Amino acid sequence: MIPLLVDGVVLGLQFALLAVGLTLIYGLGGILNLAHGHFAVIAGIVTALLISAGVTVPLAALLGILSAGLFALLIDRTLMLPAYRYKGENRLLLGLMLTLGLSLMVTGLLNFRFPQTALSLRLPVVSVEIFGVTVRTASIIVASMSLLAILSLLTFLRRTTLGKAVRSVVQNETGAKLCGIDPKRIRTLIFVLGGLMAGLAGVAQGLFSSVGTELGMELTILALIVATVGGVRSINGTLAAGILLGVVNAFASFYIGAYLTSIILLVIAALTILVRPEGLLGHLA
Amino acid sequence: MRANSWLRFASIGAVGVLLAVIPLVVGGSSFYMRLATVMLAYMTYTIAFNLIFGHTRQLFLCLGALAGASAYFSVILTRQLGLPPWGTIPLGILLSGSVGAVLSYVSVRRGLGVIFLGIVTLAFSLVFHNLLLGLREFTRGETGIVTRGLGLGIMEDRFSGYYVFLAILVLSLLLYYLLVRSRVGLAFRALSDDELSAELAGINVTGYKVLAAFVGSALLGTVGAFYAYYNGFVGPEIFSIVSIDTMVLVMLLFGGMGTLLGPVLGGAVFTVVNELVRPLGPLNLLVYGALLVILFVLFREGLVVMLQRLVSKPARRHVPEPPPAVVTGPEP
Repeated sequence: MIPLLVDGVVLGLQFALLAVGLTLIYGLGGILNLAHGHFAVIAGIVTALLISAGVTVPLAALLGILSAGLFALLIDRTLMLPAYRYKGENRLLLGLMLTLGLSLMVTGLLNFRFPQTALSLRLPVVSVEIFGVTVRTASIIVASMSLLAILSLLTFLRRTTLGKAVRSVVQNETGAKLCGIDPKRIRTLIFVLGGLMAGLAGVAQGLFSSVGTELGMELTILALIVATVGGVRSINGTLAAGILLGVVNAFASFYIGAYLTSIILLVIAALTILVRPEGLLGHLA
Repeated sequence: MRANSWLRFASIGAVGVLLAVIPLVVGGSSFYMRLATVMLAYMTYTIAFNLIFGHTRQLFLCLGALAGASAYFSVILTRQLGLPPWGTIPLGILLSGSVGAVLSYVSVRRGLGVIFLGIVTLAFSLVFHNLLLGLREFTRGETGIVTRGLGLGIMEDRFSGYYVFLAILVLSLLLYYLLVRSRVGLAFRALSDDELSAELAGINVTGYKVLAAFVGSALLGTVGAFYAYYNGFVGPEIFSIVSIDTMVLVMLLFGGMGTLLGPVLGGAVFTVVNELVRPLGPLNLLVYGALLVILFVLFREGLVVMLQRLVSKPARRHVPEPPPAVVTGPEP
């Protein structure tokens, strides 16, 4: 029971990390990024390529994550421009189509260029015992990385002036403009932050198992499920939803089997939308 | 108005005749016959999606799943219970129609926006695909089910199969046109412009949206079921999101949302494009992605509206129908 719970929480933190970028870009930028998983894949592949070129693992991971951020910057400055011209549902829909196109392009290109490359760091699986529970070191690293990233993101948005500026743009773009905040630059910041988070999640996934070219859509959908259950706009909600779904996933795949597990996750997401569209935490978040 | 409507009927007839001579032109080559048949199937899928998304703004990302639900339901009933396909196909069609209607009803009742309906239907299609892989004793998982010899001989011959699909296409075009030019079409137009105003004007928004979803989904199911027998076997790959939903989306956008002939033109053009990019292997996804982006950025009104504009440019103040509200037009 307890080891399963620990596994679930670790997995959940990873889910949350994957989804938090999606939440950020949707909640603050008004774009549902269907290429989110592909940002993670790009980070993973860049890291793998650098490692095979002889770069040390931490540096390669860092550069991999940065590459996802850089890619996000590029996309924000080019592909997303038409979407940003609109507001509300029109922006969402156009953004949806553009990022769907982007995800196809990235998959096609990566499959063509790096069909065999996959990031799989295979960290030495030393297990340590904490309070009588054996935990893999990889789990500890991933869990603390995820938690740290999400908490610093929250602190940034809550405490810093720039973070407040970001939130002001969400509340009222014109008002923010009147206060001397440039919504365009804030949007870019959000998009790049989202990309970095996805990159981090990609590399974290690589620590545990592997990230290959074909995983992009799968990761996007996972992120979408988690973000949906969390209410798509709230970072707290995403964190809670991630942990919940991680635990559900761990128990379900242990007791019921893998294929029903993915169905359960999808059904939870669909039910959340239908029953409680504001997400798990609702207005508390 | 009258003349215009005869023109539309004539164009449906012209499409039918034009497509009817294709087998003669390609001389019965099995490769081209197959390509042409698949093209007809996609055109009809696109007409269905046009009703659902083009006219009532319901973003269904489960087209493949709806078509597949009908196909699998009919094939499994036929195989397990020994029922004749002609009896099980209507059941399959009814199943997809009802599923589509339920999805639509629930989403309208819950007031889901375009995006949330998109996510729910996407989740539905993923669940469907997981079930196909998981319920091995019925669906035989990845391997799929052989449908050749299940008793639908008309679909197994490449000529008669082609003409069955052509009949479905022409009937769908007629159905589509009759719906759209009737009161129903008027209601569609009103509710896709502004749902609240439509409701206030006494239009039963829920009813019309569910109707569009039912008819559209039943059409998807019709093509899916017949395709299952035509193809000789059904497998999960045939009804995947990439092979149906993405293609249909691109075809509709290219041809033009909310137009009669858009799905036909889009289907024809992209069948050709598809063959052209096939040799590129993995890169064909890149081409599709790029096309999707380009279509959405530069070409949002579609081919039909563009052609109309070209034809009637020097003419009177013929104002082409305004482009769809959801994807175009910056808000004030």
